Amino acid sequence: MTMDDNKLTFDKITSDLTHHIRINKGFLVWMGFLTVSLVACLYAYSLQLRTGLGVAGIRDYVTWGLYLANFVFFVAASLIGMLISAVLGLAGMKWITPLTRIAETIAVSFAAVAGLVIVSDMGRPERLAYVFIYGRPQSPILWDVTVIITYFALSLLLLYLPMIADMAILHRKGALPSWLKGTYKCLSLNFTDTPAQNRIINRSIRMLLILLVPMALSIHTVTSWLFAVTSRAGWDSSIFGPYFVSGAFVAGSAAVIIAMFFFRKNYKLQDYITDLHFDNMGKVLVTVSLVYLYFNINEFLVPGYKLQRADAIHLTELFSGKDACMFWIVQIGGLVLPILLLFFRPFRKPLPILVISIAVLIAAWFKRYLIVIPTQEHPFLPIQHVPQNFVVYTPTLVETMITIGPFILVLIIITLISKFFPVIPLHETAVEKGVEDV
Amino acid sequence: MCFKKQFFLLLIFAAALGFRVTAQTWVVPDDQKAVTAPAKFTPAMQKQGEQVYTKNCQSCHGLPGKDNWVKLVPPPGDLAKEKAQKQTDGEIFYRITTGKVPMPEFRNIIPEDDRWNVIAYLRTFNPKYVQPEPSAKTAFTGRIVTLAMQYSEPVKKIVVTAHEKLKDNDKAPAAGIEVMLYVKRFFGNMQVGDMKTTNAKGEAFFEFPADLPGNSAGNVDITAQVNDPKNQMKATPAAATLAIGVPTSRPGLTETRAWWSTRGKAPIWLLLTYTLSVLIVWGFIVYIVVSVMKIRKLSQG
Repeated sequence: MTMDDNKLTFDKITSDLTHHIRINKGFLVWMGFLTVSLVACLYAYSLQLRTGLGVAGIRDYVTWGLYLANFVFFVAASLIGMLISAVLGLAGMKWITPLTRIAETIAVSFAAVAGLVIVSDMGRPERLAYVFIYGRPQSPILWDVTVIITYFALSLLLLYLPMIADMAILHRKGALPSWLKGTYKCLSLNFTDTPAQNRIINRSIRMLLILLVPMALSIHTVTSWLFAVTSRAGWDSSIFGPYFVSGAFVAGSAAVIIAMFFFRKNYKLQDYITDLHFDNMGKVLVTVSLVYLYFNINEFLVPGYKLQRADAIHLTELFSGKDACMFWIVQIGGLVLPILLLFFRPFRKPLPILVISIAVLIAAWFKRYLIVIPTQEHPFLPIQHVPQNFVVYTPTLVETMITIGPFILVLIIITLISKFFPVIPLHETAVEKGVEDV
Repeated sequence: MCFKKQFFLLLIFAAALGFRVTAQTWVVPDDQKAVTAPAKFTPAMQKQGEQVYTKNCQSCHGLPGKDNWVKLVPPPGDLAKEKAQKQTDGEIFYRITTGKVPMPEFRNIIPEDDRWNVIAYLRTFNPKYVQPEPSAKTAFTGRIVTLAMQYSEPVKKIVVTAHEKLKDNDKAPAAGIEVMLYVKRFFGNMQVGDMKTTNAKGEAFFEFPADLPGNSAGNVDITAQVNDPKNQMKATPAAATLAIGVPTSRPGLTETRAWWSTRGKAPIWLLLTYTLSVLIVWGFIVYIVVSVMKIRKLSQG
């Protein structure tokens, strides 16, 4: 700990946690870069809207390509809000306080954009409402849409409720532009720290946290069922639910560590996000990775032992065939190696763990690719009398740009939330440190 | 490694050769090429041909002249284009009739007249086309057979009777006719027993299985057909609905509430679970939002 608790005052905490809330050159340059990139991706999407899904590499056999792999990744990344806030929070872990808002920001932005990612895979996006108008309650697709919307609403509330007290502080203390102060005042709901108000907020947060656990489990379990309810080799698995959920925690923990690192550095939060937090998050990451490794062994060893005909084709392609290179890099570089390294304390220091987390996150994306695409290239009935680009799936440039677009959108949302609101809960930190507003 | 490379080269060469061969081998026999339509094409035939085309051909060949055929290997191609149109009527007729993978064989799918109607329709896209003289129809000299069918309770058998039309327009029992019996099932017709040959009285007897399910009244649809692979006869099949099946009332797969049915036929427990879950969770969300809104009223100072 580098913090000197004796000198800590309420004003210091406020200034430490809110000094980044201002529009500076760096912010403008970064947002400009993101906006230009987003416009380029939107242009690619406009090409798809005009010409149709044929501009992507998806064809009759591989109908779920990058877009669906991306969708699974986005849903996965959004799950971390539940692990950090609900599981660790309800378990009474105090050290997570500075990380809850980061986790919730990631959850909200990924969950919000996950819905858009699915729209990018629709040939007729203007018919989106038909999902609700004509949706069948028997279909996991309707369940998925339902739980994602619900999870997004819960996460948004969970991001907002602990912020109400912070808004009140910002409205009173900050030397900020009047429009921003007006927004804070509106969002603070005239919070004056009365016991009755605090009671409402605390009770609501507790309710949200309890609701969040089953809902988060549902969103990724249902997403896994989109695959597992079919009899395709590689998807036909009864452990797909926990397999996806544990994988989601791996991706989400890595995303939180990366976000922690950059917020800490750029917003100078070294006194609040300390090496201890990185160390603890490293332990969280290695724990969820071990669980995920366990499910991976089950998922590949059991069908690999039986080698039924379709499984044999699928697994041979993964283990030693066309997809072997990607498969082993992902499994070893994104799972086994990080676990081995994170067992040792020096690798849980901020910089090493950042590098490991980036590797884990990239591997997590390619893992979704490996789950979604290869099995579609060898369906039960042989592929015949079709051109080569139907047989082998090759993502196109336009498709890749439409896939990158959502990432840029997520970065924009995270940037905006973290720029205009305290990254670390202000009121909660002050209460925990025992310094009261005077 | 070197062997592997050679092997791949060989494979590519073989594939290229194979492609050339398949592309060239659909040769129409000369006598078939010379076949002409049985009649002059009329606008009515063209119109009928268009309907047949839409139903059977368009899914692969696309709209004639629009070049929107499906990307298959070998490519189906646009039939209004020169490559297709430079064929004789006989060649097109032969190709429709026999098919060649991936093109289906339409011999038993599109009746002969309609196959000619399709050609009549396709020729409307070729302004240079001049129809050759229709083939003169020769008088039919084969046997003209009509089948009848009934169930004989005493012998518990289906009796198929064949009559043939004689030259003086009289009818006589037809002996030596090969007859096959079919019963209609969910997906097409199922043959009952083996093929039988009619006796001197023109009769053939078929035992009907005792355990074959019928509809709720035990009715089964049965047809009797003449086996005439070389098309030497003019045969009229017999059809009848007989109450000789086992009465079975089983609701259709889409008639009851089930996972695979439409939304209106979703299982009740599933509808309840889904609706209740949504209502409970969103009830909490609404409750939380409403109580948070109270914060505004509770502020002091």
